[in-house]
Amino acid sequence: MNSFFLSMLVIVCGGILPLFLWRQFALMKAVSVLAIGSGCLLGLLNAWAGLTRPVNGAVEFSYLGNFSLSFHMDTLSAYFLIVIFGVSLIAALYSFHYMRNAQKALRTAVHYLFFSLLVMAMSLVVTASNLITFILAWEIMSLSSFFLVAYNYEAAENRKAGYLYFVFSQVGAMFLLAAFGIIYAHGGSFAFDAAAALPESAKILVFVLAFIGFGSKAGVFPFHVWLPHAHPAAPSHISAVMSGVMIKTGIYGILRIYVMLDWHCALFGDIVLIAGMLSGVLGVVYALGQHDLKRLLAYHSVENIGIILIGIGIGMIGVAAGKPVMAVLGFSGGLLHVLNHALFKSLLFMGAGMVLHQTGTRAIDALGGLIKKMRVTGTTFLIGSLAISGLPPFNGFVSEFLVYMGGFNGVALSSRGFALSLLAIVSLATIGGLALACFTKVVGVVFQGEPRSDAARDAEEKGLLMMVPMIVLAGACIVIGVFPTFFMTMTLKAVASVGLGYGRIPMEPFVILTANITRGAFLFLTVLLAVLALRSLLYRGKTIARSGTWGCGFTQPTVKMQYTGSSYAASILEFFKPAAPLSESYRPIQGCFPAGTHYRSHVHDLAEMQMGPLIVRPVLWLFDKLRWLQHGDIHLYIGYILLAIVVVLFFV
Amino acid sequence: MMKSFIFLILAMLLAPIYAALILKVKAFFGGRKGSPLLIHYYTLIKLLKKGSVYSTSTTVIFKLGPVISFSATAMVLMFLPIAGQAPLFSFDGDVIFLLYLLGLGRFFTIAAAMDTASPFEGMGAAREAYFPIICEATLFMTLILFYTLSGELNLAAFFSGAQPLGLWHMAGVPMLFVVIALFIVLLAENSRVPVDDPATHLELTMIHEVMVLDHSGPDFAFIELGSFFKLFFYSALVTRLIAPVPFRHPMVDAFVFFSIMTLVYTAIGVTESVMARYRMDKVPKFVLTSFALAFFATVITLEFVK
Repeated sequence: MNSFFLSMLVIVCGGILPLFLWRQFALMKAVSVLAIGSGCLLGLLNAWAGLTRPVNGAVEFSYLGNFSLSFHMDTLSAYFLIVIFGVSLIAALYSFHYMRNAQKALRTAVHYLFFSLLVMAMSLVVTASNLITFILAWEIMSLSSFFLVAYNYEAAENRKAGYLYFVFSQVGAMFLLAAFGIIYAHGGSFAFDAAAALPESAKILVFVLAFIGFGSKAGVFPFHVWLPHAHPAAPSHISAVMSGVMIKTGIYGILRIYVMLDWHCALFGDIVLIAGMLSGVLGVVYALGQHDLKRLLAYHSVENIGIILIGIGIGMIGVAAGKPVMAVLGFSGGLLHVLNHALFKSLLFMGAGMVLHQTGTRAIDALGGLIKKMRVTGTTFLIGSLAISGLPPFNGFVSEFLVYMGGFNGVALSSRGFALSLLAIVSLATIGGLALACFTKVVGVVFQGEPRSDAARDAEEKGLLMMVPMIVLAGACIVIGVFPTFFMTMTLKAVASVGLGYGRIPMEPFVILTANITRGAFLFLTVLLAVLALRSLLYRGKTIARSGTWGCGFTQPTVKMQYTGSSYAASILEFFKPAAPLSESYRPIQGCFPAGTHYRSHVHDLAEMQMGPLIVRPVLWLFDKLRWLQHGDIHLYIGYILLAIVVVLFFV
Repeated sequence: MMKSFIFLILAMLLAPIYAALILKVKAFFGGRKGSPLLIHYYTLIKLLKKGSVYSTSTTVIFKLGPVISFSATAMVLMFLPIAGQAPLFSFDGDVIFLLYLLGLGRFFTIAAAMDTASPFEGMGAAREAYFPIICEATLFMTLILFYTLSGELNLAAFFSGAQPLGLWHMAGVPMLFVVIALFIVLLAENSRVPVDDPATHLELTMIHEVMVLDHSGPDFAFIELGSFFKLFFYSALVTRLIAPVPFRHPMVDAFVFFSIMTLVYTAIGVTESVMARYRMDKVPKFVLTSFALAFFATVITLEFVK
């Protein structure tokens, strides 16, 4: 663990040094990126060692007297650490050219401080081994990311996004505290192991409370409301880290609480699976209706968290039903999707960051034709889109394939297990189709066709350190997609720490599946190369001309006539109207010489829509009624405190 | 192995002729003589001889579209058991891989259409992205049924060997639902009437044809041949379900298989002749019917299995 703390130290140095160096803008960035980057690299190597040769024993600091801080790295922690350090390293590199406004040097320095704190806090969350340490690291993580979301605080919408995120993370933490409080009340100990001794009814309560708390961080429907606001507000590499990694600490938390409770109850699986299906399908439907590129990607995080939860839910149901193959497939599929989503989602956010940087707009319908000028961004974004749509031979397919296989194993179960597995498979299929529709929309409207605005026409890409991370991530998407076996064994090692009670998990039956994917991918690439060769043979010596697009007889096409993202998604959204109410405003076209018109549409998020009347208003009403308590008289306030202490001393 | 390879080549060669059969049936209903059965071969040869014109709006994605979608469909045929023979390749879960590979082909077909900046092609692309979502749900529902019956998840286990799935299987009655559901999926996925009219004259009402307006020459030949392969694949699925238990004699089995294939293609032709295309907003309801049928089949079969 010592080298782990060393990496923490280096990363935090990378955050503190900029505060002294901010007058030299480039130097500050270089120092910070180098320190954070090398710290992440060190941590990555260390986590890799922790995954392959697990070390036992926790490290404990009795720093706060009764509340000792204790850390421990098992294979599950090590797996998440690999994801955290890997993506943070790449995001740090990307930030060097992304943060280019020298006027905001001090603010950039502060941003590096909070970035390093965020990386550190995430690593501590996944290595914490008692409740106090966990909640402490969790709060540092929430607070540091809040300051990053509020980076561009001049815009009112960003302040609102930060506020919303703050409220959600604190309410989520409250649920966690409640869950941890129940554990402490029963066992009198902050150790994780204490939870296993709880009575079963208390375990269910703890799990539900913790699921809400962790779910609000992970972005599980209906606790995801902050996500589509916070991601567009933050700088793009921060969005990449938050969406790619930080929300995964919620997934880690759900897995950890499952390990802690040590009770293989089918109900847990049911809850997780149903929440996963809801997030998955609704996330992608809402994504389809977005007009803002980064908001769209944020909703896709909700979708992918859904896929991860479907995997984990299938795993939990499998354990409860005594089906080891189903259980291992579900858990490893979910965990592999954690890694995969971290890769392609940060790639997509970085691509969106490049687009935003060069065109100054996030509006999908104002862009177009970018791939011609921005080759690297366009190509890597295309690869990321194929991966997130779950298509072979890219990495998203591998994890979805494993989850599918787990689901099909569950079809053989009795009534409830069968019904849930069936729903899981059908929702995965629907999610796949919808994600394909959504990303053909993004790629087609943003990167293909003709530019719809001047900003899009003049865009070009620059910043070497912004492009290299995208190329690395795109490469990783292909490598995992074609050679998944190595990564499968990684996840299997992590699953070993989930405490399924199987002893050693055999690799062979699962490695066969991934080896098959490699075979299939190679076969496809062979066929593809053969067809490409045939094509070039067929075109040898032929005349190839270039001309305008065929306008079906219309000879004066303009770029305004192109299909927009809104029209592309309209008919699908119509189908999902009950779940995604659509509000439109437009002036109808009338007469022979119609006047100018407009069209505006907005897809309402059910959770966001209902949050006001169902939660915010009753809470406000209640606190309004209690306003008399808060009268500003300091004497009475001291009286409250005394009274509270007396009550606590006598009755608890 | 050798036999599988011969059947694969045979299937690839026959696919355009079978597609021409649909035209023949439609001509019969129209009281015409119709074009010869080799018409698609003549078209393909004509296309292969030509060069291409590319739109100035397009990029390399436009050229990749036909190649990738053709490779995907060709690959699907390699995993398909033809006439009860074991396919060339097969592995556990290959159906999922193949369905997603067809998805990859669709992604690039759509991307190639969006590459042209044409409003018509965008319109077609939006529809091409929409309807297959429901088809996929139906197909996976069918897979759940097939998995409960066979305990495996690959095409070879479903449709080759001594006990292939079908109407003659012990759970044959609900299988009728599946046959109809798959036939609806066939019509939707291959842009046939009543979902899409491949012979219509108005670009606004097309789905698949409008997306490939700008392709020409050998690129277009790849698209055409790919669509014949895809149609062959779906028809073979339906055929295999209708076909009787194997006679364990390759020639007899092949004869039965290809005769039933003729029937399925004729059924497509008859459907096209007696029906009009649905209004666009009716199409999802039509395709959803297939999902409902597959769902009922699965639920009913579960009772049978118990």
